Amino acid sequence: MRSEPDDRGGAVGGIDGELPASIDGLTPSTFVAPATAQEVAEVLADAAERGLAVAPVGAGTALALGNPPDRLDLVLSTARLREVIDYEPTDLVLSVGAGARLGDVQTVLAEHGQELPIDPPRGDEATIGGLIATGLAGPRRLAAGTLRDLLIGVAVAHPSGTVTKAGGMVVKNVTGFDLPRIYHGSLGTLGIVVSANFKVLPLPRAEATVTAAAPSWEAAVAAAERLRSSRLDPAALDVMRRDGAWSIGVRLMGREATVGGLADEARALLVGETAVATGAESAAWWRGYTADQAAIAQGDDVVVRISVRPRAVGGLIGSLVRLEEEQEVQVGYLGASVGVGSVVLRLRLAGDNPASRLAALREALLTLADQVVVLAAPSAWKRGFDVWGRPPETIDVMRSLKHQFDPVRVLNPGRFAGRI
Amino acid sequence: MNRTSLVERLEGILGPGGVFHRPSDLLVYEYDGSVDGAVDTALPAAVTLPTTTEQVAAIVRLAHEAGLPVTARGAGTGLSGGAVAQQGGIIVSLTRMDRIVEIDRADRTALVEPGVINLELSETTLPQGYFFAPDPSSQRACTIGGNVAENSGGPHCLKYGVTTNHVLGLEVVLPDGRIVWTGGHADGGPGYDLTAAMVGSEGMLGIVTKALVRLTPAPEATLVLLAAFGDVDAASHATSRVIGAGIVPAALELMDALTIQAVEPAYHAGYPLDAGAVLLIEIDGVVEDVRALGEEIAAICREAGATEVRSATAQAERDLLWKGRKMALAAMGRLAPNYYLHDTVVPRSKLPATLHRVDEISRHFDLPIANVFHAGDGNLHPLMLFDRRRAGDVERVLEASKEILHYCVEVGGALSGEHGIGTEKRDYVTLVYSADDLAAMAGIKNSFDPAGCFNPEKLFPKGYMCGEVRALRAQAMAQKLGIYAF
Ligand SMILES: Cc1cc2nc3c(=O)[nH]c(=O)nc-3n(C[C@H](O)[C@H](O)[C@H](O)COP(=O)(O)OP(=O)(O)OC[C@H]3O[C@@H](n4cnc5c(N)ncnc54)[C@H](O)[C@@H]3O)c2cc1C
Repeated sequence: MRSEPDDRGGAVGGIDGELPASIDGLTPSTFVAPATAQEVAEVLADAAERGLAVAPVGAGTALALGNPPDRLDLVLSTARLREVIDYEPTDLVLSVGAGARLGDVQTVLAEHGQELPIDPPRGDEATIGGLIATGLAGPRRLAAGTLRDLLIGVAVAHPSGTVTKAGGMVVKNVTGFDLPRIYHGSLGTLGIVVSANFKVLPLPRAEATVTAAAPSWEAAVAAAERLRSSRLDPAALDVMRRDGAWSIGVRLMGREATVGGLADEARALLVGETAVATGAESAAWWRGYTADQAAIAQGDDVVVRISVRPRAVGGLIGSLVRLEEEQEVQVGYLGASVGVGSVVLRLRLAGDNPASRLAALREALLTLADQVVVLAAPSAWKRGFDVWGRPPETIDVMRSLKHQFDPVRVLNPGRFAGRI
Repeated sequence: MNRTSLVERLEGILGPGGVFHRPSDLLVYEYDGSVDGAVDTALPAAVTLPTTTEQVAAIVRLAHEAGLPVTARGAGTGLSGGAVAQQGGIIVSLTRMDRIVEIDRADRTALVEPGVINLELSETTLPQGYFFAPDPSSQRACTIGGNVAENSGGPHCLKYGVTTNHVLGLEVVLPDGRIVWTGGHADGGPGYDLTAAMVGSEGMLGIVTKALVRLTPAPEATLVLLAAFGDVDAASHATSRVIGAGIVPAALELMDALTIQAVEPAYHAGYPLDAGAVLLIEIDGVVEDVRALGEEIAAICREAGATEVRSATAQAERDLLWKGRKMALAAMGRLAPNYYLHDTVVPRSKLPATLHRVDEISRHFDLPIANVFHAGDGNLHPLMLFDRRRAGDVERVLEASKEILHYCVEVGGALSGEHGIGTEKRDYVTLVYSADDLAAMAGIKNSFDPAGCFNPEKLFPKGYMCGEVRALRAQAMAQKLGIYAF
């Protein structure tokens, strides 16, 4: 099925998002919204020639992510690259423009009983290109993996003025280096993804979410461990603290006839009061729960993601609770994907000099875990450190990778790990 | 460095038992698992058998200093010439690094050395309720290092994904001899995904000395269905209908009449000898789902014209049904002295047309072709039967495989689904990738291995020089702008 170009270019969604006035306090002099892959490449080549810095922007739902840019001249919106290029339901593959919003893509897929099994925070509004660039993922990664696992091909525009493709429209392909997965999570610093191909999956026939309050974090983590080692094979399994109260949520998927029984089993493994949501309500519960994990700086909010090996999540939560008291941070929200090993905090820093207190908090967190990313914070507070954490030992390989793809640092200069 | 001093220095690193250099000892390293004639063979100057990462690093530093090519090698079962030392130099055989270092049930991971045999890992972890999902048909012999380098797949990759979906981190010796980790136990590490770059890189970017892999919990229940059809068309349509019904089985394999005739008399798996094709469909999950989905799939197959549908839940019965599939290659010896195992992918909906084309090509070249493949993900394995000693047979096989490749690319497919490009298909890469596409790949190669010493002459077309293409372009741009990038 090839979507017929209509007056909107056969596109899903529309250009409705406001273009950002600034990124981390830097204001671009120019906005462009190219309509084709080739145009994106031309803009980049021109920027390279003139030594301009370009920030690619999708829906703007994760612009707080990254170090403040070294320079910013031009914002390039992918909003007009939003068409469904190819969708073959019987092949379970989809090719879509980078500017398409995930929510719109899911709607197209749902008409054929299919989906991309991902649930990034505020993901419905996010664009496909933005999701590839940031690599942000939600609780469903426990069972279904991330967009990285679904990505089978890309087309990318480069500062050399070329558009290249890698991978294809088949679900198995080992023709050359796995470029699509290298672009995933590269924050647009190697090239601008203009379209992407995915393996899609059948929608689960039914789903249910069981939630339960827990008297303490220890009780919540213990319940999560029971569920994880049961036969239930949860689609998502999170422990959370919201408004000071600990609770646990488990998402189950399967056939209509089975899911109810699985939910009963889950309730038996939990203690205390439980609630069950099914169908659309179940999905909505997770959208609500993860919204606070988005890389969006609201007011003086700071959002931090800490990743450890799954077995260490309980210990990490305990340490965070202690740290919270010691450092006088107000953690308004804590969401932990137990089997994944990822904890996201949304917090406020009380008192004077929040910038240096954030730097101190980050240092303290780095003693608890290897991977600490400040997903969002007021721009001025981010200048004292690398928001991505400690540079990896392979940073020189990464620098030379950047040099191969973007030698004059046109793309998002300074924003990525190691200030690449 | 002359050969004698090279060997001396290698023996200094590895001891005399860790270096092969006599011509007779080197002969087996001239090949990998590919058919003679389909890929080149080449003799290395020396074969090294390190037992530690530090030894690998020392070998690589020595090679770096001497400007010698280095080719990593696992079990040598590769089918695209990957482990052949195309320009000679040093082969680093990882078979003596075969320890399972750690199995962590809470994390569901295993840390293994690269020489661990694929099946051994699952056999070790299954009693604890876990398995390593990628299951290439060569799993009794091939190594995890080889699987990582080729991004190998297998029948169960339909549901569980290929090797890249199961690798969390790698310890790697880089071409300059440094030992580094990419990825790790905790994800969300900063910077580019170098693990993704390493998996499927055919030994061209680094040597894997440890792999941290995901273990998958064994499903509660498993069911295998055997569905027989009058012809391959009916079987491939049934495949599409199963997928169309919103079911993703754990595995969905197709075998055609020629395969059945080779397999059944040898292994008595119970495939009907008069069938034109059989599908082997495995589903797994919670017990209630498996039972119900089994009935649903059986009904779909019958509607799609299956002449017989049988199912097995007991382990022994399931194993028997799988035995025919697993022994299919071995059974081909009954039909012809040699076979050439091809590996291409097409969109699933193009399977019927592609199988027709393969049949035409088979007739045109007067070359029997058996089809036994991963139908669920459109990954074909046409098996061409021939006799190497007969004049012209190898040439016909290569011609026929070229036509198949061309057709698969025309209908939107790929050159290889799991065996890799190596030297076997390097001259076909331009069928799917433009000069610019290749320049981007060369950019990856250059950032890991600017000197081009790791597994040279693989993947890129003959005569293609990675170093020049991309570096020149980058330099030209930087000079033009008067910028000397960091
Ligand atoms: C009968 C048969 C059936 C097969 N079935 C399948 C199948 O179902 N699916 C499938 O995907 N493949 C299959 N293969 C192909 C092959 O078995 C796989 O590619 C396998 O992963 C290769 O592993 P190996 O240890 O033999 O690697 P080798 O053949 O020794 O090497 C393969 C490549 O990996 C590189 N390499 C090896 N070890 C390392 C390391 N530690 N670090 C860096 N690079 C390294 C080599 O340089 C080479 O490029 C089959 C082969 C045969 C002979």
